[in-house]
Amino acid sequence: MKKHNNIWLTVDTVLKVVILLAFIFPFLWMISTSLQTLEETMKFPPTILPEVPQWLNFVDAMTSGPFATYARNSLIVTISVIIIQLLVMIPAAYAFAKYEFFGKNVLFALVLIAFMIPGQLTFIPIYLMMADWGLIKTLLPQILPFMSNAFGIFLLRQYFMQIPEEIIEAARLDNANEFKIMWKIMVPMSKPALATVALFSFVSHWNDYFWPLVMTDSNEVRPLTLGISMLRETEGISNWHIIMAGNVVLVVPILIVYLFCSKQIVRAFVYSGIK
Amino acid sequence: MKKFFSIFAALFLVLGILAACGNEEKTEGTPKDTSKEPAQEEPEGKVTIQFWHSLGGVNGEYLDAMIKRFNESQDKVEVVGTFQGTYDETSTKLQQAISANTAPDIAMIERAYVQMFAEAEVLEDLKPYFKDSDVKESDFVKGLMGHSTFNKKLVSLPLNRSTPILHVNKTMLDEAGLEVPKTWDELKEVANKLVVKEGNEVKRYGLTMPYDTWYPIAMISQSKGKFFNDKKTSVDFVKNGIGKDVFQYLKDMQNTGALFYPPQTDSGNIVNQMFSSGKVAMMFQSTGSIGGIAQQATFDYETAFLPKNDVYATPTGGGNVAMLASSEHKKAAWQFMNFMMSDPQGLQQFIVESGYLPFTKKMAESKPIQDLWAKEPNRKTAYEQLEYATDTNKDTAWPEVMHEFFAAIEAIMYDNADIDKSLDTFTKETERILGQ
Repeated sequence: MKKHNNIWLTVDTVLKVVILLAFIFPFLWMISTSLQTLEETMKFPPTILPEVPQWLNFVDAMTSGPFATYARNSLIVTISVIIIQLLVMIPAAYAFAKYEFFGKNVLFALVLIAFMIPGQLTFIPIYLMMADWGLIKTLLPQILPFMSNAFGIFLLRQYFMQIPEEIIEAARLDNANEFKIMWKIMVPMSKPALATVALFSFVSHWNDYFWPLVMTDSNEVRPLTLGISMLRETEGISNWHIIMAGNVVLVVPILIVYLFCSKQIVRAFVYSGIK
Repeated sequence: MKKFFSIFAALFLVLGILAACGNEEKTEGTPKDTSKEPAQEEPEGKVTIQFWHSLGGVNGEYLDAMIKRFNESQDKVEVVGTFQGTYDETSTKLQQAISANTAPDIAMIERAYVQMFAEAEVLEDLKPYFKDSDVKESDFVKGLMGHSTFNKKLVSLPLNRSTPILHVNKTMLDEAGLEVPKTWDELKEVANKLVVKEGNEVKRYGLTMPYDTWYPIAMISQSKGKFFNDKKTSVDFVKNGIGKDVFQYLKDMQNTGALFYPPQTDSGNIVNQMFSSGKVAMMFQSTGSIGGIAQQATFDYETAFLPKNDVYATPTGGGNVAMLASSEHKKAAWQFMNFMMSDPQGLQQFIVESGYLPFTKKMAESKPIQDLWAKEPNRKTAYEQLEYATDTNKDTAWPEVMHEFFAAIEAIMYDNADIDKSLDTFTKETERILGQ
């Protein structure tokens, strides 16, 4: 019996390692390439550990354009999008989950429809509108269309609906106003959902290439993703080591946020007492 | 209570908008923006010219350096160069910007897209500008002007131009006692002789080329064929059997292992790397790759004309530069274009650095270029091949037809589809597109 268990444990571990490797390999490959010389990147068989780590690749990548501006734009856009989305989503999801009002289902259906329309359908009219308003030279075309997040409203509503009515009733009896209920009860109890939505939102806006490519035409308002795509050669041999150094810089904030969020998710699960 | 809540909800929304506006102020407050805006409104001050281009990486840095040289050479015009993505992305962005009235003054347009923009009448006719200019229309190398005129208007000038060329690992050929091939027959023979096999696995290929329409088009021209017929109602090269010959030739070589046809994604980089690392002896590839390969190659590296079938021929590629008819500062825009075309510090210097083709006789005869050629004869070969440059895929519908041609290449080269059938389907699709 014990032997049997051991076999399963081994199979289990091996499978986990295989899956882990499949996911982590591209990352390691990227980091390794970012520390190689151009000659080394083209070697076959490829070197996994760089012979001499080329830390200057990072300097090269970051000095090849106004990367401070790109990073600032990425930060401003991503953080404002998340803050605005949370401010819009929480009350909206609360209303959809806990209130009965006229036209609720129609409105919620509208939210779901918004969720299903891809950005590729709307970008031309939005661009024309933004150009008409003279906003193309600002960061607003990257923020305004994302003030609300239909997927987030949907997810939060489902989560809020699980929170027992009794808790809210009890708070009302204690004279807590709706704002307080939302802020002091709903929000802390749904931290996992909030963290998930915020993380998704962060990753998708931080990594977004298509939308800023369409909505910007000057370097002053461009995010990091566009800056890094500039490192590629249009013709000829691309400097993969420099491109990968740029990508490492792009990925690091996501990893930091993820580490922070995953902790949050675990803690919230323990704290809220909801299974 | 509910009312109270709805007020809060409304407040949140307003706050959200305010927060967004706050950010806008921050970006508008950057010094660059404030200095630029008023300049566009005051004609007496410095005029700002927006220049969109598709050059990233090292070539992008060379281009930026040229823009800087222009800005420092005078104090009337300030050119702002902005990278807008690949050729395709730049072209799409341009279409979008033209309809939204946010178009730049000058733009780099991949030569095959020029006709499409010219037909929409959004490009300025440059002929009148040559009057007060340091360069004459007749100075330009003819082979590179194929996409420059449309309905007798001169709508674009060459900028970063290239052609395909034969890249040769001379060391490998010498070892095998082979000469650089000059004809298709020789190419087939040499490529096959250079193949190294271990069992069924090919260790070394004879020839490769990127997945692109460029190379089949080159081979069509080398067989005296044309891409479109003269009336632009159909393709020319299918019914006369030339298309079949071209693809049969490629397929034969692919089947013996002489030709390595790369996977679609990033094929240009893949073949470059295979060639540089000695996995393939010869390569059809852009002249734009000469600089990178010369840096990488540890063997005797040479370039040669693309081998001829009936005649020598090569299509051209790369970007042209055009002035947008909507520009409000055409004089200033021309001042910059004139600088690019005629000043030794303009595109001439960019070409020396980047390895694109010189496009005026004056440039080709200039000392920096002559010095470069003496040092790197491979680049001279590319210029000399321009004598045989011809482009037969000129049509406003080319971008659309191109996708169909890619589909045919895909079917034949990857899926071993029947050549005749694939080309027939392609012809029908092309006729449908051209008939629209």
